[in-house]
Amino acid sequence: MFLRMVKGALFRQKGKMVMIAFTILLGASLATSMLNIMLDVGDKVNQELKTYGANITVVPKQNSVLEDIYELEGNDADGIKSAYLQEDELGKIKTIFWAFNIVDFAPFIDTTVDLMGNDVKLVGTWFNHHLSLPTGEELDAGVTSMRSWWTITDGEWMDEQAGEDEVMVGTTLAKAQGISVGDRISVSTRHGSKDLKVVGIYESGDDADEQIYTTLDIAQELSGTDGLLSSIEVSALTTPDNELAQKAAKDPKSLSIADYETWYCTAYTSSICYQIQEVITGSVASPVRQVAESEGAIMEKTRLLMILITILSLVGSGLGISNLVTASVMERSKELGLLKAIGAKDSAITALILTEIMITALVGGAIGYFVGYGFAQIIGQTVFASSINMKPMVIPIVAILILVVTFFGSIPAIRTLLRMKPAEVLHGR
Amino acid sequence: MTKRKMFFRMITASLIRRRSRMFVALLAIAVGATILCGLVTIYYDVPKQMGEQFRSYGANMIFVASAQSETESEVLTEESMNEALKYMKKDQLVGVSPYRYETVTVNEQPIIAAGTDLDNVQKTSPYWYIDGEWPSEDGQILVGKETAKLLSVDVGGRLTITYSPEALENPDQPAETDAAAGEDAVTMNFTVTGTLDTGGKEEDYIFMSLADMAALTGDNSRIDVAELSVSATQEELNAYVEEITEKVPAVTPRLVKRVTQSETTVLSKLQALVLLVTIVVLMLMMICVATTMMAVVTERRQEIGLRKALGASNKSIVTEFMGESVMLGAVGGLIGSFLGFAFAQAVSMNVFNSTITFRPLLVPIAIIAAMAVTGLASLVPIRSATDVDPALVLKGE
Repeated sequence: MFLRMVKGALFRQKGKMVMIAFTILLGASLATSMLNIMLDVGDKVNQELKTYGANITVVPKQNSVLEDIYELEGNDADGIKSAYLQEDELGKIKTIFWAFNIVDFAPFIDTTVDLMGNDVKLVGTWFNHHLSLPTGEELDAGVTSMRSWWTITDGEWMDEQAGEDEVMVGTTLAKAQGISVGDRISVSTRHGSKDLKVVGIYESGDDADEQIYTTLDIAQELSGTDGLLSSIEVSALTTPDNELAQKAAKDPKSLSIADYETWYCTAYTSSICYQIQEVITGSVASPVRQVAESEGAIMEKTRLLMILITILSLVGSGLGISNLVTASVMERSKELGLLKAIGAKDSAITALILTEIMITALVGGAIGYFVGYGFAQIIGQTVFASSINMKPMVIPIVAILILVVTFFGSIPAIRTLLRMKPAEVLHGR
Repeated sequence: MTKRKMFFRMITASLIRRRSRMFVALLAIAVGATILCGLVTIYYDVPKQMGEQFRSYGANMIFVASAQSETESEVLTEESMNEALKYMKKDQLVGVSPYRYETVTVNEQPIIAAGTDLDNVQKTSPYWYIDGEWPSEDGQILVGKETAKLLSVDVGGRLTITYSPEALENPDQPAETDAAAGEDAVTMNFTVTGTLDTGGKEEDYIFMSLADMAALTGDNSRIDVAELSVSATQEELNAYVEEITEKVPAVTPRLVKRVTQSETTVLSKLQALVLLVTIVVLMLMMICVATTMMAVVTERRQEIGLRKALGASNKSIVTEFMGESVMLGAVGGLIGSFLGFAFAQAVSMNVFNSTITFRPLLVPIAIIAAMAVTGLASLVPIRSATDVDPALVLKGE
């Protein structure tokens, strides 16, 4: 009998129930999409911030000071640099604990070459180096993506796969020397000389404008450092540093075992640096504070902003749903009065109405979840050109929200009606 | 006149008589308008506020000396820098720090020392991590992490810095230069207040105030480069570069492309995100408000039927009911626009620690939007109620 009454009410008042379900659907979809975006926005913004370039640099131990000072004084760096990194160890960077968070990296070797009687810095690196990792992952790493702020004023980016003796020249240098795309320039060092074809002129807005960029092999040959690197730049997705990370950055050994585990297994910049040092012999990996610190600040702000907007929309949709539920219960005062008049108990009436509304809420909520999924994906695709990662924890949150809101939306109205005398209700006061 | 009076009396009386129901509708409208106002304000404010956050990436413009010819390059001075700064809006300028680099010797080791305005550096390079404290008075210096290791000094230690003009030409034998250029060399003592960790080349330098640098070198006019942190869009920055290049020949402004380019990319993404979120939330909230209004009006089918039975024309019924809805919309919109501003203000205070400007234009927009949504939403059920036979409506079908 109870079921029959519920079914009857649902079907008789089809229009009204559809409207309630529709509002709940909207509320649920809003909650779903906002929660999912909020939970994923950190990762997405992190990806976008990668346009600022590397946030970790790896250099050989005890070398950075000497290099900078002697370079300033115009010495040929070759004689002084005692330490190098090994090229064959590069792949190990993608084998550390947080390998998945390393989105890009590029090795560098630089040397001073003689170009038409002038000393010019020549940098060898990866452009679009294709890596096939033992894990089966494929990755294109190199400066083409790590120097996203460069503009190619003439020509194009170098294609490493072409395998030619090619170079790219900074715009300041190109102007000073009258170099244009298609020219062949001849550079020499005491290790030999090479004839290289200019394929692109770039503008970087920094020192690189006065330099020449070419492949690792050519630079190693010119500097007589086969298989050696002077630095590695790594672009990694990191978690903003907290107190633990700062403490660990100074000395990982000062941590307790539990703290050490937490630190090692969190993608802090300092723990990723530490793990890189573990796999590359004789290296010092340090965070580029300009990038690492700012990333943390911006991510935190964005996340906080999204949390507040999400709360606002949750409150909004909650109020919207409970409003409508209250209105729809009040509307049925006559029906309730009649039920009371023919002897229904208060508890029976309450159970009847709650069941009806909860069933409607469930249907609306379930459809709303999928609509919200759609909204989240539309936003993800339009803004970040990648799909939003759906978190399973959103489902219980939305379900609880909808149930609580409908429950508390209907209870006050039902109680008001039950308190009235059936005669008054039926009379329409 | 009396007719209009009667109209208003009917509307207000009906609103007051059905207090609880109308309160529900009003609440829905106010929440909708709050969200409209709050989100639109945030949307317009995000680029500015976020732009300021992006200044933590440091300088986005530098001033260098204009190289007139190969042999004679014009020197950048503080005067020419200040001259150039006149062309920029004061409130957009986050910080300006002039730098002057000199090679000095400490314990006979050549080190690069930079003289700068240390208060401003904290604004242009907020990412500098200092172990210890920033220097607060003359005679105090910051030492880069690597240099500190090399010289084995720590916070609180003292350094004797020697500057001799000839040291530059004779870098390999700093010991002898010291002796040879004895009369030219200036030696000063400094206290190390902090060591600097940046992950960049600054770790190899020593930083002191411009006054100390002038005392050390006996020359106080020249600066090598000035770093500027400007809170402006790419177009505004380009305009500044053009204007300064033209009007102050001694200064060549350059944009730090890495910072400006990346900022434009990321900021536009963030703004697009807030825009889309705003659109989705607004769309859903408007439908929510509309369904609530529909429910509230549908409830009154019997009243409409009764009026029709008493001889009211369709037009007068529609006008009256619409009047009621639109009035609700106006009140709700007004309340909502202020609540929305309060919400946006709270967000701004919590997220960015700064206040936002009140946009008066949003108040009429929110009111009109609320009136339009409520009006349209109630039109549908009113129409369907007036279209049917009063007898059927009264019977309750």
